[in-house]
Amino acid sequence: MDFSVIGDNLSYFLLGAYPDGPLGGAALTLLLSLLSGLISAVLGLVLGIALVLLDGKVRWLLLGVLGFLRAIPVVMLIFWSYFLLPILLKVDVPALATVVCALSLIGGAYLAHSVHAGISSLPPGQWAAGKALGLSTWQVLRLIILPQALPMMLPSFLNQWITLIKDTSLAYVIGVGELSFVATQVSNRVMVHPTEIFLFVGLLYFVFCSSLDLIANRWVKPGAKTR
Amino acid sequence: MFGELLGPKYLHWLFDGFVLTLILSLLTCLVATGLGFLLCLARISPSRLWSWPARAYLALFRNTPLLVQLFFWYFGVTAMLPEGLVMWLNQPRSLALGLFDIEWPSFEFIAGFWGLMLYTAAFIAEEFRAGVSSVRLEQRAAGLALGFTPAQVWRYIVFPQAVRTALGPLLGQYMNALKNSSLTMAIGLAELSYASRQVETETFKTFQAFGFATLLYVASIALIEVIGQGLARSKWYKQGVL
Amino acid sequence: MKKLTALTALTLAVLSGLAHADRLDDIKKSGVLRVASFDSNPPFGFVDAKSKQIEGLDVDYAKAIADKLGVKLQLQPTNPANRVPLLVANKVDLVLANFTITPERAEQVNFSIPYFASGQQFIVKKGTLTSPQELNQWRVGVDKGTVNEGVLREKFPGAKVVAYDDTPFAFTALRNGNVQAITQDGPKLIGLLANVPDKDKYEVPPFTISNDLIGVGIPKGEERLTEVVNQTLTDLEAQGKAQGIYDTWFGPTTKTPLTRLYKIGDKS
Repeated sequence: MDFSVIGDNLSYFLLGAYPDGPLGGAALTLLLSLLSGLISAVLGLVLGIALVLLDGKVRWLLLGVLGFLRAIPVVMLIFWSYFLLPILLKVDVPALATVVCALSLIGGAYLAHSVHAGISSLPPGQWAAGKALGLSTWQVLRLIILPQALPMMLPSFLNQWITLIKDTSLAYVIGVGELSFVATQVSNRVMVHPTEIFLFVGLLYFVFCSSLDLIANRWVKPGAKTR
Repeated sequence: MFGELLGPKYLHWLFDGFVLTLILSLLTCLVATGLGFLLCLARISPSRLWSWPARAYLALFRNTPLLVQLFFWYFGVTAMLPEGLVMWLNQPRSLALGLFDIEWPSFEFIAGFWGLMLYTAAFIAEEFRAGVSSVRLEQRAAGLALGFTPAQVWRYIVFPQAVRTALGPLLGQYMNALKNSSLTMAIGLAELSYASRQVETETFKTFQAFGFATLLYVASIALIEVIGQGLARSKWYKQGVL
Repeated sequence: MKKLTALTALTLAVLSGLAHADRLDDIKKSGVLRVASFDSNPPFGFVDAKSKQIEGLDVDYAKAIADKLGVKLQLQPTNPANRVPLLVANKVDLVLANFTITPERAEQVNFSIPYFASGQQFIVKKGTLTSPQELNQWRVGVDKGTVNEGVLREKFPGAKVVAYDDTPFAFTALRNGNVQAITQDGPKLIGLLANVPDKDKYEVPPFTISNDLIGVGIPKGEERLTEVVNQTLTDLEAQGKAQGIYDTWFGPTTKTPLTRLYKIGDKS
C-alpha cells in the first residue's frame, strides 16, 4: 500500500482540472447529486400524490411511465439519452444535463412509489374524518395526511438520496468528469495503485453519504417523538 | 445502422449473459432478504450488543458505492489471500452429481455474488425497518393490553403490517439488485451488460446490442412489477394473512 | 394546426439541411474541432499529472490537424466502447483514440490512412509461459471494448477470457493471480511495465498475434474531411513532424523506448 498517489493528485480528485479547466471530481459529484436530489424530491412528491388522487386510465399511464423508469438501468438511460436523442430528434443534450435529468427522473419514480405507499398506509378513516370536518381534498392532504405520512417515509427518501450520490458515478459512461471518472483517469496513469485509489474514493463517498445520513437522522428524530 | 439486426451467434451471447444475470440476481435476492431481515432485527434490538454492530454494517455498506465494494472483494481481498488458495479458487472444476456435472462457479461469480448480496441486504434491512416503524407503538401497547405475549404481538400485529408497508419498497430493492448486477461486469463477470459490450466490440452494432440488453432488463423488471401489483391486489395481501 | 405542421416541416427541413451540410465547412464556421481521445491510455491519451489536461501521442496528432484547419481543438474524453457512438451521434468530429482500422468498423465510420502500427502481445509472470500454445488452457485478462478480445478468442479458443474495464485492473488481477496473462497492444504493455515497481517479475514474451493499424475515425461519408486529415498526416511525415511526435512518446530518452517500425504512408 502506497498512499502518496492520493496526496499527489488530491486537488484533481477534489476539483478536477478547475480552475484551469471545467469543475470535476468530488465537487462535481456533490453538485450533480444536489441538483438531481432536489428535482427528484419534488418530482417524487408530486407524482406520489398524483398516484393517490388519480384513477382510471391516467393512473395506469402514470404507473406505466414510472414502471419503465424504475425498470431501466441508470447506465442505459444515460447512454440512450446522450447518444440516441441526437440521432432521433436531432437535439443535442449536453452531458451534464443528461445526467441530471436521468438521475432525477429515476429518483423521482422511486420516490413517487414511496410517497404513495406512505399515504396509503394511513387508515382511510383519516380522509373521512378530514372530509367530515368540511376540509377540501387538498386541505386534508396538506393538513392531515402528509404531516403523518412524510415522517414515516423519510427512511425511503434517505435511501434514495444516498443511492443518488452513488449513482452519479455512472455518469462515467458519457465521459462526465466526476469523482469515479477522475479516479479512473489517475489510476490508469499510475497503473499500479488501483486499490489505494479506490479505497480513498470509497472513503470520500462514505463521508458524503454518512454526513447526509447523520444530518437526516438528527432532523427526523424530533418528528418521530411527536407521533 | 438500424437496418440489420444481430446474428444468431450474438443473440446467443446475449441470452447466456441474461441467464447469468437472472441466476445472480435471484440468488442475491433470496440470501439478501434473509440476511436483511436478521440485520433489521439486530438493528432494532434494545441490546446495544446487537444494534451497534448492525448500525456499523448498515452505514458502511449503504454509504459506499457498490462498484468500490466489488473492487474490494475481488481485487483487495485476493491480494491478501495466500497465493495457493487463489490458484485453487480460480481452477475450473466441476462437481459430478450422478448424471449432471455442476460446474463450480468462477471466482468472479463468487466475488460478484458476495459483494452484491452484502450490499443489497443492507438496503433490505432498512426497508424492513421502515415497515416496522410504520406500525404505531400504541398498537403494540394495545396488543399487550389484550393479553398477547410480546412474540404474539410481533407475529399477529407488527409483522403483517410491516411486511405490507415494506412490500413495495422491497420489490424496488429486488429491481435494484437486478440492475446493480450489471456492475459486476467490472470484475469480469460475463453477465448481460458484459455480453452487450462484447457483442458491440465484435459487431459495432452499438444500438442493437445495448437496445437488446435494455429490453431484457426492462422486461424482467416489468415482470417483478406485475408480480408486485398482483400481490397488492390479492386477497391474501388485503386481508393481511401472513 | 396547419401552421404547426408548416412550422414542423420547416424545422425539419432546416435541421436535415444542417445535418447534410459538409462537416468540414461546419468545423471551419464554428472554429472548433471536437476530437474524442482516450484519457486513460498512456502514452496515447492520458491526463497529465501537472497540467491536468489530456495529453499523449493521439492528442499531438489531433493538435496538428486542428492547426492545419486553423481552428481550436476541443477534447472529449472517451472509453473504447463509446468511440463509434460518439461519431454516429455527431458528438465529435474526429476520433483519435488508438482506433484500430477494421473492415467492420469501416462500415460505420470513415478511416484516415494509418498513423501508427502495433501488434497484440501478452504480459505474464516471468518464466511461466514456455510456449504460446499454453495460453489455450490459461485464464487471460483483456480490456473490454477492444479488438484484442476478439483476436484472443479467435487465436486461442481454449483460453478462459476475463474482460476488465481498463488495463490497470487487468494487471492487478494478474498480480493477484486471478488471471495468468493479460493481453493488449505491445506499446501499451511496455508503457505499463515501465510504471511497475516490481517489473523484473514480469515479462512480455517476444511474439505478437496480430498486426493492427491505427487510424483517425471520421463520420461516415465525410469525404472532404477525410481528404484533409489524410493530407495533414502525409505532410506531417514529409516534414519530419511525425517522427518528432513519435520521439516525444516512444523515443530513446522516454520511459518507453521503442523502435519506429511504421511510417505514415508505408504499405503494411
